[in-house]
Amino acid sequence: MKISYEWLRELTGVELTAADLRERLTMAGLEVEGLHEAADGDFVLEMAVLSNRPDLLSHLGVAREVGVSTGVSVRLAQAEPASLSGRAGELTAVEVRDSQLCPRYAARVVRGVRVAPSPEWLIKRLQAIGQRPINNIADITNYVMHELGQPLHAFDLDKLTERRIVVRRAQAGEKITTLDGTARELDAEMLVIADAVRPVAVAGVMGGADSEISDATRDVLIESAYFDPASVRRTARTLGLQTDASDRFERGVDYAGVLRAQQRAVALICELAGGAATEDALDIYPQPIAPPVVALRFARVRGLTGLDVPPHEALRILNALGFELTGAASEAAGKHTMPEFAGQANLDAQVAPNAVAFNCPTWRADVQIEEDLVEEVGRHFGFWQIEDALPPSPVAGEYRAHENRRRAARQALAARGFDEALSFSFTEAAHDGQYELLPGLIVRAEESFPFITLGNPIIEDAARMRATLVPGLLAAARHNFNHGTRDVRLFETGRVFAAHEEAGHLPHEREACALVATGGALEANRAAAPRELDFYDLKGALEATADAMNLPALEFVAARVKHLREGQAARVLLGGREIGSAGRLADELATVYKFRQPVYVAEVDFSALLEAPEAPARYTPLSRFPSVVRDVSLVADRRVAFAEMRRAAFDLNLEALRGVALVYTYEGEKVPVGCRSVTLRFEYRADERTLRDEEVDALHAQIISTLEQKFSRQSQP
Amino acid sequence: MEQPAAVREAFEQEFGRFAGFSGVNSSSMANVAALDLAAAEASVRELQDLRTRHTGKKSALANLKKQIGRVAPEERAAFGQQIQQLEAGIVESLDGAARTLESHVAQMRVEQERIDVTLPGRRPRRGHLHPITLVWQEIEDIFVAMGYTVEDGPEIETDFYNFDALNIPATHPARSAQDTFYTTDGFALRSQTSTVQIHAMQRRRPPLRVIAPGRVFRRDTPDATHNPMFFQVEGLLVDRGITMAHLKGTVTEFLRRLYGADTRTRFRPSYFPFTEPSAEFDFSCFKCNGVGCRLCKGSGWIELGGSGMVHPNVLRAVGVDPEEFSGFAFGFGIDRMCALKYELDDIRLLFENDVRFLEQFT
Repeated sequence: MKISYEWLRELTGVELTAADLRERLTMAGLEVEGLHEAADGDFVLEMAVLSNRPDLLSHLGVAREVGVSTGVSVRLAQAEPASLSGRAGELTAVEVRDSQLCPRYAARVVRGVRVAPSPEWLIKRLQAIGQRPINNIADITNYVMHELGQPLHAFDLDKLTERRIVVRRAQAGEKITTLDGTARELDAEMLVIADAVRPVAVAGVMGGADSEISDATRDVLIESAYFDPASVRRTARTLGLQTDASDRFERGVDYAGVLRAQQRAVALICELAGGAATEDALDIYPQPIAPPVVALRFARVRGLTGLDVPPHEALRILNALGFELTGAASEAAGKHTMPEFAGQANLDAQVAPNAVAFNCPTWRADVQIEEDLVEEVGRHFGFWQIEDALPPSPVAGEYRAHENRRRAARQALAARGFDEALSFSFTEAAHDGQYELLPGLIVRAEESFPFITLGNPIIEDAARMRATLVPGLLAAARHNFNHGTRDVRLFETGRVFAAHEEAGHLPHEREACALVATGGALEANRAAAPRELDFYDLKGALEATADAMNLPALEFVAARVKHLREGQAARVLLGGREIGSAGRLADELATVYKFRQPVYVAEVDFSALLEAPEAPARYTPLSRFPSVVRDVSLVADRRVAFAEMRRAAFDLNLEALRGVALVYTYEGEKVPVGCRSVTLRFEYRADERTLRDEEVDALHAQIISTLEQKFSRQSQP
Repeated sequence: MEQPAAVREAFEQEFGRFAGFSGVNSSSMANVAALDLAAAEASVRELQDLRTRHTGKKSALANLKKQIGRVAPEERAAFGQQIQQLEAGIVESLDGAARTLESHVAQMRVEQERIDVTLPGRRPRRGHLHPITLVWQEIEDIFVAMGYTVEDGPEIETDFYNFDALNIPATHPARSAQDTFYTTDGFALRSQTSTVQIHAMQRRRPPLRVIAPGRVFRRDTPDATHNPMFFQVEGLLVDRGITMAHLKGTVTEFLRRLYGADTRTRFRPSYFPFTEPSAEFDFSCFKCNGVGCRLCKGSGWIELGGSGMVHPNVLRAVGVDPEEFSGFAFGFGIDRMCALKYELDDIRLLFENDVRFLEQFT
């Protein structure tokens, strides 16, 4: 919104420089985003007008604020038409068929105008605030809107069938070509200004091309109205047509200022375009709107803002803003002739303890309750005067539940070389059904559709709320490959979404943690042999995370997982409960992403990890007797899992067997195809004595024979 | 009978090739320097053999010493002295050569095992937390220390929490499908973490102080300064007798802990449906301390967020009597703090997950 400094000076006589004015207005809540020099020493203030202050979409509105702030009063130009003749009712007729959508409609006619270019001063003033001059009639309506905030419309009276106005809802499918030359189809919710047969304007939005002022126009009908804000908003949105007029109507114009603005325009027309105005207007205003009456307790100002505003100063501010004391209160305050009160101290003592009530100005639809008045007083007294104070502290601070574990998990993953990623929560529908979702997320029956869809996505194709973090990380991996980084380890924690099993309920939200790992295992350019990442790096990272979160060990069970490659996929369990999966990305998906190197992905239910009971740390006495360690290598089918061997050993329930660890696995020379050699390390120990060699030999032999029987093709002790 | 002269001669003959090493002078150093490590180590061993052969129990010298007792008493002293001198000479020669050779060997070993301490250290690659997480944690830590409880709520919300309870009128543009994302079943992606105000006040009665960091969504097309998803932190304090001075003091205290003790804040009146009065807050630029620089676009102030006194309708919506309690709320963007802190020129980078970007933050 552009405001001319000179124009403001004309309205207020303010002496401040443009720069000082900018500062003053900004600190009173009228943000001036920019200040530019314009022609002839004028300046233009670029204002960011708050959405609840349509009154500031005019020079008058800004001038009022300047007035309060600097103690000057606003002077409006005289608006008496130079020439009067006839009454409006003799020349036209107005019928309002929907006074809900159009509470007030005023029409006035000027006959015998000469349409021509505007005079120099008017052109300059409009150009200064970025408006394009058209002709004197259109420019005057535009000028008055920018001066007083009331959008006006000028019709060529001769082009209105039967020279009359009907304000009504459009018929569904009814058409109009608006001033911008676009043919538009209307719906039955939209209010139009029509003549006897057809719409001639979309009410409050834009006029029609058919009734536009032209050089041939002799008689004009000036419309000034108050339309229902919600209705104008809806119409403008539906038509995709936002105009200066709709911007103002949809936020609420000054319903009491309708005639004044019309009068101002008509006077200017008579002055600049000649012609004679009707003596009156047809003003259809069946139910006058009463401004709200709002009470203020002066103590409330201090109670909310902490500012000590003397009551007489509060009254001065409110009065200057147009708030008028109601009858009883007005008497108590005496005749409040502004700007000076007689006997301020006396007044303060009289009114301070009481609530006083104000009639709100008709242009301030935003003020409805006491707190609104407090803000008005506070912002003009000066928010900059508010001091810093800390509230007394009766409560103790607290993190979210399990925050320590959340942070520990992130640190553990970072320590394993994973960078933290964050992706948008929306994703493509193309991912539907390609990934196995977290068991904790999907509650409804499998055949039903679990995905949450956005009705109005902003990124093309990204209309699903993600049900898994994996595709986001794969996209990130691809992005990094495309930018020359081939060693990528990323993790992300964030919510995933799935539909509730019952309609009308909020979707399920669950926090997930996902990992992607691909490329080299070690940092490049360091004194170490390079190695490619594999499944065990991914698994190690998950284990380290569980460790850091003080959780019992995760279990990994070979499994088939939809998005993982068979034979390199595991389901992850915590305390026997499935919480996710880990493995190498399936070839079909790798092809979709054009990955040329193995990519490993995992996703686990982070909420489940966070909520799981912590493994309590408890002291175990240190053994006073040494352990004996024996290794054995077993050649077994490749598909025999280490976990099975370990379990088989423990299943013997040998008291002295304290540990089964992996030393290494080997495949290659001397090991038959389809087999591998697994070297295991067994730890034996008794609590009360040192084990003798023969005892250990016997135990070890028992284990070997069991394992061989179960798994082995040949063994090498 | 051994003759001292013959013994000396026999020693000197064998010692001959070491003689060049035995003196404490530069020529012996130069001589030894010509030997490579293997030759020097061999020489040390040979010298050891030589010592055994010429000074050991079975050596000619040992025999000579045994003869001392058998020499006529009147010659014994002179003979003994002669033998002593002979032994001293041999040992001195041997020791001298050994010292030179051994120090050479030691030095060669040091040289051979010398390393380049400037080579990069060996370590696993370290990962990095996301800059938003880093800023988020910092904010959270400060507010917890100031007595706030961290709360959260759903990211997909009903209109009640996202709008109605926050006093956002039915006609407010924020509710339009232009500005807010809606799911096909009519829920809203929360457009501000203010929703958590309502959840928090339903869960706890005043006095309460809460912050709610989290993801929010608005239908902005991504560009250098906008994303359709971003992170926000909302603060709420409700108690008896709370005023805007407490709000300002709290925001100032937070910013001082973050940016330093001389940080100043200022309020500009503003409008938010869920607060009344409302104010935006700015803080003195942490880079130029309010003088004006590129970061603060010359103004000396950085705009941070919105705040105000909780609107009585919001308090009433959760059954709190606005006559008894008052409260303040404030909110600001974590992404924005992040962009300021790290001087990001394009916030789309925050969600591209480019490793070259992510590894810049610790």
